[in-house]
Amino acid sequence: MRALVFAVYLFLYTPIALVVLFSFNSGRNASELVGFSTQWYGRALSNPFLMEALQTSLIIAFTSAGLAAVFGTMAAIGLERVGPRVRAIFDGLFAAAIVVPGVVIGIATLVALAELFSFVNPMLASVWPGTNVPKLSLGYGSIIAAHGLFSMALVTMIVKARIASLGRDIVEASGDLYASPLTTFREIVLPQIRPSIVAGFLLAFTFSFDDFIIAFFVAGSKTTLPIYVFASIRRGVTPEINAVATMVLVASLVLIVIARILMREKKIAS
Amino acid sequence: MVTAMLLGPAAAWLVVFLVLPFIAIIVFSFGERAPEGGYQPAFTLAQFANLGARAAAFANTLTLAPIGALACLLVAYPVAYYLAVKADPRHRMLLVSLVVVPFWTSMLVRTYAWMYLLGGRGIPHLLDLVGFSDVRLLNTPGAVLLGIVYGYLPLMILPIYVSLEKLDRRLLEASADLGAHPFSTFFGITVPLSLPGVMTGIALVTILLLGEYLIPQLLGGGKVFFIGNALVDLFLQSRNWPFGSAIAVTLVAVVVMVLLIAMRIAWRVAGTRQVDLM
Amino acid sequence: MANRHKENLPITAQGFMDEFMRLKRGSVTRRHFLTATGLGLATAVMSRVPGAISTPAYAEDLGSQMSIATWPNYHDPATFENFKAATGVAVEVNVFGSNEEMLAKLQAGATGWSLFVPTNYTIATYHKLGLIDELDLAKLPNFSAASENPRFTKEGQIDGKTYALPKNWGTTGFAVNTSKIKAPLTSWKDFFEIAQGEADGRAMVHDYQLTTIGSALVSLGLDFNSIKPEDLAKAEELLIKVKPHLFAINSDYQPAMRATDAWMTMCWTNDGAQLNRDIPEIHYILGKDGGEIWTDYYAIPKDAPNKAAGYALLNYLMDPKVAVKEHTANGAPTTDSRVLELLPKEIVSNKIVYPDEAALTPLEFGAAVTLTDPGRAELMARFKSA
Repeated sequence: MRALVFAVYLFLYTPIALVVLFSFNSGRNASELVGFSTQWYGRALSNPFLMEALQTSLIIAFTSAGLAAVFGTMAAIGLERVGPRVRAIFDGLFAAAIVVPGVVIGIATLVALAELFSFVNPMLASVWPGTNVPKLSLGYGSIIAAHGLFSMALVTMIVKARIASLGRDIVEASGDLYASPLTTFREIVLPQIRPSIVAGFLLAFTFSFDDFIIAFFVAGSKTTLPIYVFASIRRGVTPEINAVATMVLVASLVLIVIARILMREKKIAS
Repeated sequence: MVTAMLLGPAAAWLVVFLVLPFIAIIVFSFGERAPEGGYQPAFTLAQFANLGARAAAFANTLTLAPIGALACLLVAYPVAYYLAVKADPRHRMLLVSLVVVPFWTSMLVRTYAWMYLLGGRGIPHLLDLVGFSDVRLLNTPGAVLLGIVYGYLPLMILPIYVSLEKLDRRLLEASADLGAHPFSTFFGITVPLSLPGVMTGIALVTILLLGEYLIPQLLGGGKVFFIGNALVDLFLQSRNWPFGSAIAVTLVAVVVMVLLIAMRIAWRVAGTRQVDLM
Repeated sequence: MANRHKENLPITAQGFMDEFMRLKRGSVTRRHFLTATGLGLATAVMSRVPGAISTPAYAEDLGSQMSIATWPNYHDPATFENFKAATGVAVEVNVFGSNEEMLAKLQAGATGWSLFVPTNYTIATYHKLGLIDELDLAKLPNFSAASENPRFTKEGQIDGKTYALPKNWGTTGFAVNTSKIKAPLTSWKDFFEIAQGEADGRAMVHDYQLTTIGSALVSLGLDFNSIKPEDLAKAEELLIKVKPHLFAINSDYQPAMRATDAWMTMCWTNDGAQLNRDIPEIHYILGKDGGEIWTDYYAIPKDAPNKAAGYALLNYLMDPKVAVKEHTANGAPTTDSRVLELLPKEIVSNKIVYPDEAALTPLEFGAAVTLTDPGRAELMARFKSA
């Protein structure tokens, strides 16, 4: 049993070990180990396209996960206050946002926006005063919107489940004690649902940061990190990619350890 | 009023970026391919009538997705069982976290690592050294299956682990005390109680696999084709937007059907309605 | 007058570096540097075209980056590094597997490319769809129409206007690793037979309708560019029969050939030359029953975000000295006699790069109609999804 479990962990970590190993390759190729070097870390950090892709991905992941956390939480709370019919409609739409495959979301968003732009842009051009007419196109907005859709549904699901487990009595008790709804929310509900919001945000962030297929369709001229990596798989991966992947991995591990320590200290403090 | 404000942004988002795009592809699916590619308005059922031209991709997806999910299950169950029941409680959280960590390395980069491992300089090279020459692993259905198990394993382990962790260990002890063989304890108590997790895992992995693109693309060499690949191909090579839209609509219908069937089976097998996809 | 004449001469490498060092030391302005090296000419002209430059602050500003859409293993990486050293513009390289894919990206809008590399038969369609602009040759002083071979360059011009400049020409044949495959191959008929026999599981075809369908047609004795349904049906039958025996359907076959995952592949001149240079047992063969001869061009998309840099890079690439280095690195034959004169003898006498005229006779240029024909597109898609 132990041996089997060990084998599975080996299976999970061999490719990752390989990625890290090749990031220290001194050769140009990510498929032939030549010698040890840290040069690719420097090259990666000074490659403007790679850094821009990383930055684009971070901006998109932060924005889409942030918006999703706010709107998703609002929706989860709002759904507590509506009738079963409205609730069922929202539940259905959120479920759809989660189960519809990413490739379909990407295509549908592309098709809809392409149509919309071909309609709006000439209109804008005809009514705009001056020559510097703004032109709508695919880019940050479309990626954030498409990622945010899935993420918002995810946050709503998670927060809703948490609210459902809370029970209404505590909220009602707070109301009976003449706390305003806002105070009740801030003092009673929010602290209880905060962990699930944070969990939702983190899942949403991870999803957006790693998504390739949706962005592939709706990115326009923007390049996210996964799109950059996909393109470099086609033109031949250099260890730069491995270096960035390793840095991202280490950064997320560090963040997790910090989060763990903070949570432990908080527990001890309370 | 407050309720409307709370639900407003979400509702607007769902309508503009889910409902409208979906209506758009339904409209497009009745259109025609423009002479140079793309879309031109029409009202024809020709795209749906032509779905048979991608029957192979549908068949491929509908067989490899459940097989992939089952293969995941076979690997995941012992791990989840070990984590929940056998592992030293002091190390349990660490071991569970280690299942999740791979998610923080880009899926693409990890799959690329498999391209190396399965390619001529990887495992086949090692096999060559011990006497098995010219073994081919990359660009086979087996490679795609391996990629699927690798990519989706954590999604299978976690729900099973959660349901096994809830399992009351005293039940197992009672069973053993009453002289039950470990096997009958396992199949009589552990397995039935873990079924909700198992069903969640299978449904989750199957549904995600139905829209898979990257794994067959990178490990299948353009030969193992999923519907996701057919879709990308229609939009990025043949530029047949209407046919692509028709396939996208059909794929969504298939997903919904699979979901309903999975729920039905789950209810029957688990004997409860508490199977939750999330 | 004499002075002007001198200014128009292509600057020598030494002169370039001198100017560059002076710029770096700060003893000359960037404007002087750009003018002296000829790089500024493009932008100097640009400044007189209203609206041609998106950022009006400094007319000669090329920005700091641009991206180019091209083919796998098609450039000397040093070219872009040198261009960056000279202009400060970093170049991002996107590679594609087929012209259809490039067209799909441009049709969907907002590609972000400021320069791209379409093949001869696609230019008419790009022009028809309004996706490319007429080139302003005044911004491309390094280009010399007089030294170009018209056989390879006529499709860049439409109605007497120039829309694309030739990059290089080439052929589509196949590469065979002769240490693995012993049977002699001379035709596409052989290729598809061996793919199902000695090279079972080890042969690759392009993810590209023109060459994959075209070569299948040729192997059956049919026309490379055919769009006749009955011809295409025969090609489809052959391709679907061969498919289970293939290693992959992929236009980037160098990695697989180098790792000996694949032993035989449909192949372009430049890849054939590179593979043969590094691994001599890989031979490049032209089908005696036919195949493709082609020219790749440079064109600038209409919605290019950085046209100034696109022109500057194009002009830079048209410099014979730069083109020679590109040629040496990628192994695709030149269309420009100025480049031919500068090439070392071993390249000009390389029969992969410059085959005998007799070997070229059976080859055909791709026809524009194949790019947009729904029958060929759908055949390719069915072949892949089968």
